Amino acid sequence: MTTSAILQAINGTSLAALLFLVASGFTVTFGLMRVVNMAYGAYYLLGGYVGLSIMQATGSFALAVVGGGAAVTVFGYLVDRFLIQHIGQNHLAQVLLTVGIAFVVGDVALKIWGGDSLKVPVPVSLRGAMELPGGMIYPTFRFLLIFFGAAIAGTLWLLYTRTQIGAVVRAGVDDREQVSATGINVDRLFVMVSALASFLAGMAGVVGGAFLTLYPGAEWEILIVALVVVIVGGLGSLGGAMIGALVVGLLDAYGRWLLPEFSYFVLFGPMAVLLLFRPQGIAGREA
Amino acid sequence: MRGARLALAAAVVVAAAALPFVAGPFWMGLVTQMIVFGLLALSVDLLLGHAGLFSICHGSFFAVAAYTTAILHVRHGAPTLLAAPAGLLAGTLLGLVFGLAVRTRGVYFILITIAFGYVVWGVAHRWSSFTGGDNGVTNVPFPAVAGMRVESHTEYYYLALGVAALCALGYRVLIRSPFGLALRGIKGSESRMRTLGFDSNRHLYAAFVLSAALASLAGVLYVYYNRFVNPVAASFPVSVEAALMAIVGGSGTIVGPFIGSAIILGLRNWVSSFFELYAAIMGIVFIAAVLWVPEGLVGLAARVRGRAARA
Amino acid sequence: MTAAVEIAEVVKEFGGLRAVDRVSLRVAAGERRVLIGPNGAGKTTLFHCITGTLPPTTGRIAFFGQDVTRLPEHRRTALGMGRTFQISNVIADLTCLENLMLAAIGTDGRKWVLHRPMVVFADVRERALAGLELIGLGHRADETPRRLSYGERRQLELALALTARPRVLFLDEPCAGLSPSERVRISKLITDLPRDLTVLMIEHDMDVALGLADRVTVLHQGRVILEGTPGEVQTNAEVREVYFGHG
Repeated sequence: MTTSAILQAINGTSLAALLFLVASGFTVTFGLMRVVNMAYGAYYLLGGYVGLSIMQATGSFALAVVGGGAAVTVFGYLVDRFLIQHIGQNHLAQVLLTVGIAFVVGDVALKIWGGDSLKVPVPVSLRGAMELPGGMIYPTFRFLLIFFGAAIAGTLWLLYTRTQIGAVVRAGVDDREQVSATGINVDRLFVMVSALASFLAGMAGVVGGAFLTLYPGAEWEILIVALVVVIVGGLGSLGGAMIGALVVGLLDAYGRWLLPEFSYFVLFGPMAVLLLFRPQGIAGREA
Repeated sequence: MRGARLALAAAVVVAAAALPFVAGPFWMGLVTQMIVFGLLALSVDLLLGHAGLFSICHGSFFAVAAYTTAILHVRHGAPTLLAAPAGLLAGTLLGLVFGLAVRTRGVYFILITIAFGYVVWGVAHRWSSFTGGDNGVTNVPFPAVAGMRVESHTEYYYLALGVAALCALGYRVLIRSPFGLALRGIKGSESRMRTLGFDSNRHLYAAFVLSAALASLAGVLYVYYNRFVNPVAASFPVSVEAALMAIVGGSGTIVGPFIGSAIILGLRNWVSSFFELYAAIMGIVFIAAVLWVPEGLVGLAARVRGRAARA
Repeated sequence: MTAAVEIAEVVKEFGGLRAVDRVSLRVAAGERRVLIGPNGAGKTTLFHCITGTLPPTTGRIAFFGQDVTRLPEHRRTALGMGRTFQISNVIADLTCLENLMLAAIGTDGRKWVLHRPMVVFADVRERALAGLELIGLGHRADETPRRLSYGERRQLELALALTARPRVLFLDEPCAGLSPSERVRISKLITDLPRDLTVLMIEHDMDVALGLADRVTVLHQGRVILEGTPGEVQTNAEVREVYFGHG
């Protein structure tokens, strides 16, 4: 029994790593630029599919990851520049616009890559399983994903808390006017942060596509779970996204194991509790 | 001006009543769907246009009502007089629970309703033993009360039309009532309303439950028309489209959501007949609506009229 | 006699900043009390704590002897608090008449009626119209505040607070941003208010403040530095330095 419990913990944590990649971009983009971008799930899917094609063409997983991320960065930039920037701070409009973009991406992806569940091939060196302390066998790729996610989270955290750019972003999340006052080029900062967020989402697609598979509809499933992460952790908070990802990842793993038919219900629990006592999330500020 | 509007209204009423005499089952079916989804859009607009809350989970109430009615009929042989009200009640009860979301505002509210909506979709999708999973519940019988059955497309069309008309009248009374005015006040400035003595959370909660009830009614109408229901009814696209219908047609009005429903469903029907990627087209409609027609068609018409009057 | 408003040792902290630092006040019923002080003295924050817009960090607030410290804003309004905001806070998309009808019905059970149109309640409409006439905007009843000048919107703001029939009126810089003639208008409106209505006013303009006040409380950096008659305050050296020194 405990072996299964630990197994689920690892499952949950590896999922959390993936969720963090998608959620962190969403939450920081909102915190800094007050943009709600519902196309992040589509970015994930697009990155995954592009990475898959690159993998099929070159056989290099590293190239696929970077390429998937880069493709989404470019796409995301175009969306920002030509569409999102035209609608300002209106959240309703942002939601509708980005949902529309997600519909378009999803449908075009369906046409190009088809409707079957596709798996990004795991690189040969990472295939198979490894033995963990205690004699448990666990797929190597998924296990290493945890470290990959932790490394990204660590790097982002360092960037956020220890660099000057990070300080400016943090100040900007707090108070947008402060940022322009420091003389930093606000537009360029926004573009950079947005690009990083898109890159992470695209990368997540390739990595996620290796164990979760890619299929029409995956863009919404990952977005919703990422949204729960953001709600639980608090909009605009990077630390909150980390905590939220862990909470949601573990709940999802245990939920699927113990109550498979009601696993979505398990997601509902922390959200409802949070709403009752702390509507702004674990680390968010007053709405 | 008033004469022209009255004439227009009269023309619409006549056209609506006469439709079955000029249109075949296909078109009547399409218009029936426009009415049903127009009701759903209206329920979303009660919150959006009058209370300032953008809810994207109304597909949940719609679906829960539909599933409840369907399951009661198909598995328990319940009569319409039991199944229909039960469906309405079930969706409204869910509204009482999801209404928790009104403790938040702005973006949080939007995100939480999205997540709530997905929970319902997920349960419909995964709890196959009860909901039938992706196949849903099929073979819902025709609605029948006291031996009278509503069978044909024509009969169902008049039923939907009648229900929608009654709802529209009730809605009209609601938005002109003190409660409706209070909602619009809260939408305008919640802080001001609180200092005037209004408990804004309570008002918003009440509005949320009322809108859930209206969405549930649309769900019951839907399941009798469709004769089946599956998780798609609770899906995110359905909820988001309901909001878009309200916006495209004209948020804050009574006819706007119905006009929006007609446009969206009509467009989808037309496009899908010759183009495969019609979801992409819908996406483009979303984008275009946001960029160019934010005040909706009714608003646009008002703007055009205003310009014409000044000219 | 019970004070209309009595606050004891109210503190309001934001992070590390004490906007209101242990302020105690006692305002008698029917009194005209003016709060003055330089910008950032904590006057508006103090108002927010008393009316319930913000919860105080510590301290006690009593309204006609009743402890209202933990009571939500809308309940305090039901007890008789009315306020205006420093920046006009009217409902822009509703007509002036609708704005005032909401004010009239705010503490009335009829606000929950959803099956009869508002027009049926003639008394509500009349009260709202009377409120508009009082501030001279009766002819703009069916227009929205967007069409009003800034001064007219300030007047509407005042009418909103008055229509709710408060026992204590909290005015936050009612004359801010107004032309001299508009100032005279508003001052007269305030002076003409019935004497059984207690008025607490934040005012930056010394002349208006001293002309209207029975007593004056001077705030500086969140603390009360003096309280007295207008004459006492005007001649006090510390006040002059704090107030005029900061311009």
